[in-house]
Amino acid sequence: MGALEGLLFGLSVAVQPQNLMAALAGALAGTVIGVLPGLGPVAGVALVLPLTFAFDPTTGLIMMAGIFYGSMYGGSTTAILMNIPGESASVVTAIDGYKLTQKGRAGAVLAIVAVGSFVGATLAILGVLFAAPVLASVALLFGPAEFFALTAGGLLVLSRISGGSFAAAGFSCLLGVALGTVGQEAVTGHNRYTFGVLELTEGIGLVPVVVGLYGIAEILSLVETSLRRGELVKVRFRELFPRRDEWARAVAPWLRGTGVGFFFGLIPGPAATLASFASYRLEQAVSRYRAEIGHGAIEGAAGPETANNAAATSALVPLLSLGLPFTPIGALMISAMMVQGVQPGPLLVQQHPDIFWGLIASLYIGNVMLLVLNLPLVGVWVSLLRIPVWFFVPMLLIVASIGAYSVHNSMLDLWVLAGAGLVGYAFNKCNIPLAPLVVGLILGPEVEKHLREGLILSQGDLLYFLEGPIAPVVWGAALLVAVIGALRRRRQPEPAVLEG
Amino acid sequence: MNRFSLPRRGLLAAAAGAATLGAASRLARAAAWPSRDMTFIVPYAPGGSTDPVSRTFCAQLEKILGVNIAVENRPGGGATIGTGAVIRARPDGHTIGLGSNSSLMFQPLINRGLAWNSADDFTSVVKLVDLPPVLAVRADAPWRSFEEFMAHVRANPRRVRASVSGLRTTPDLTIQQLNRKAGVQIATVPFTGGGGEALLALLGGRVEANCGFGPSVKGQVEAGNIRILAVFQRGRYEMFPEAVSSVEAGYDVTLPAAYYVIAPKGLPAEVQEKLTQTSREAVATPEFTAFARSNGYTLDPKAGDAMKAELVEYQETFRELLAFLNQRS
Repeated sequence: MGALEGLLFGLSVAVQPQNLMAALAGALAGTVIGVLPGLGPVAGVALVLPLTFAFDPTTGLIMMAGIFYGSMYGGSTTAILMNIPGESASVVTAIDGYKLTQKGRAGAVLAIVAVGSFVGATLAILGVLFAAPVLASVALLFGPAEFFALTAGGLLVLSRISGGSFAAAGFSCLLGVALGTVGQEAVTGHNRYTFGVLELTEGIGLVPVVVGLYGIAEILSLVETSLRRGELVKVRFRELFPRRDEWARAVAPWLRGTGVGFFFGLIPGPAATLASFASYRLEQAVSRYRAEIGHGAIEGAAGPETANNAAATSALVPLLSLGLPFTPIGALMISAMMVQGVQPGPLLVQQHPDIFWGLIASLYIGNVMLLVLNLPLVGVWVSLLRIPVWFFVPMLLIVASIGAYSVHNSMLDLWVLAGAGLVGYAFNKCNIPLAPLVVGLILGPEVEKHLREGLILSQGDLLYFLEGPIAPVVWGAALLVAVIGALRRRRQPEPAVLEG
Repeated sequence: MNRFSLPRRGLLAAAAGAATLGAASRLARAAAWPSRDMTFIVPYAPGGSTDPVSRTFCAQLEKILGVNIAVENRPGGGATIGTGAVIRARPDGHTIGLGSNSSLMFQPLINRGLAWNSADDFTSVVKLVDLPPVLAVRADAPWRSFEEFMAHVRANPRRVRASVSGLRTTPDLTIQQLNRKAGVQIATVPFTGGGGEALLALLGGRVEANCGFGPSVKGQVEAGNIRILAVFQRGRYEMFPEAVSSVEAGYDVTLPAAYYVIAPKGLPAEVQEKLTQTSREAVATPEFTAFARSNGYTLDPKAGDAMKAELVEYQETFRELLAFLNQRS
């Protein structure tokens, strides 16, 4: 079956009433899950996993995909409105998104991000549709050496993502890397810095750190400022929609974000998060308005949010064509297939064309639904800003705590949430950027893992890490970006510290 | 005595010799369990081989018992967090969970301070399934049979690498057991992260072989990208009948991932009896056996003391393996 025939067949599967319902229910539930800080896509999909066992496999998968997409859409909402990323993939969106909210452009940026998510996902679906078999082999080109280059190079390039002095960003990044060493070491399974606390063997959770650093810290400063100001930003209705120049400026970042996201989705690792960071960095480097990024530029929100949706889509390529789950969501989807007796693997498209094409078609339908759902909701979300502080702050605190707790059902995560909140507040006071800490926490363990795997594989040969065409190219590119970035900064006056 | 009183008092009453009263209260209490919804703790994250088997079992047990069973994933710490939560739960039969030979018997050997050290520290309810590891090579690999592969391994000590899904996981320990029993040196390369990266390393030609589980490699085998040379169990394996059994090939290496249902220690006798009985029934339902077959699990029905004896044996095997690994390094 060719791609077009397949798509038509898929559409016929996807428009069956129960599948349409599943997509709608998934998209709605996902949006709510995404908007609640702490409850991210993984937690959301895990929550409904048992429900999907009751349905036909296609319907179950469509619902999971709907939740996944919905929460990716929703995750940026609180990041933009309140500087509280709902999940780690929205961390960079908060930087410029929140600045724009403070300028009164909340509605505009939410609309741009919703359309961007749609564009990213739609283009990525087309990519999956026509090139899935070819793209599957991309993952085969990446071994430990290539991953080490990508993650270590990424650490180098992304550590200064939100400006600040070299020392401040470096300190923040190193703290993140150090926190990443806590817990069961990936290769040998030895426990590091766990002090006999069993829950710590899992490591410091990303969700409570992100929600704490941004969310709790933001609540603390909200309490502080509201004593003086008493009121949140007012949004007038006519400011809900983007101006023509804002639309025009968003197009290039959408397209670049799609490209970046699509690539990251094809390889193992925290694709959506890395894609959003990489897209932000790319905008800093190439956007015509790069000087404004970090101070409330539409590019800084449009690019990353498009990228993480594109990554979420292209991550389906290895899942559907290799049967390999590169993301926790992928593992959940494979679990849902297996419990129903469907074997994921290269033959899925031949053995179960209804699942393969139905899922792809329903992704498209799901994205249309989310766009239709989210554009009118922009006004609703923005009106959240009118909630009085005395009600808003405690409510946010409760929701954030429930979200952080629900990921592992662990009290420890609540302590981490509180601790990260204090660290975030202190860092903001000292002008130390927070984003490098998140980058360090995500990439640190990856760098270590791939280094160790490579050393075991090559039986101790360090030159292994420069073998092949991909690793040296990645290293070259990373060094180039780092050096150019440093030179460019030198020519500018003392760089301002960006919040976030 | 009312039927909701403490279970131990029921036991005392029965022991006191009030035969009729004892039998009556026994029946009453057995009927009283389960008196509310139950919790089944899976000490692994959803996704992977452990979650579906748990959910399939629970769906059947729910039907038999007529109560809801909430499946709760408590991953982490080499499955010790969730396993500990089951073992430390109140022993009233309302909290049960999944255990594996690795989490129940291997972890206590390498982790101090767990809530259990041996099979005496929890109640053995029923054995669910075995999942035998298989040895896979690329379709274009020169070895046509397990024998040819082993001859190559013997001639090239430490040069043949097998990717496994993490150090000291069942596939890794299987290869180490093969090293030990056959006197060879296959180097294992652990890939963690659980995203099939060990299989990816084989597909990408970075290692010579992969030791993994049938369900996760089946798709690649059917697509003709890899071949299964051997399965580490006693007889042939339904999922890959063409693969030779390690034992038939002359290597006594059988170390499956074995999954069990456990409960806290000290259940009231009648609750334990009814739990074991109904769990046996659940494992024998056509739905469960069909699920097991289609997913490459091997059924090996065992309950109570027979299951416990098997666990004790595993602990001995793991102890020997650890001694072998420590002495070699």
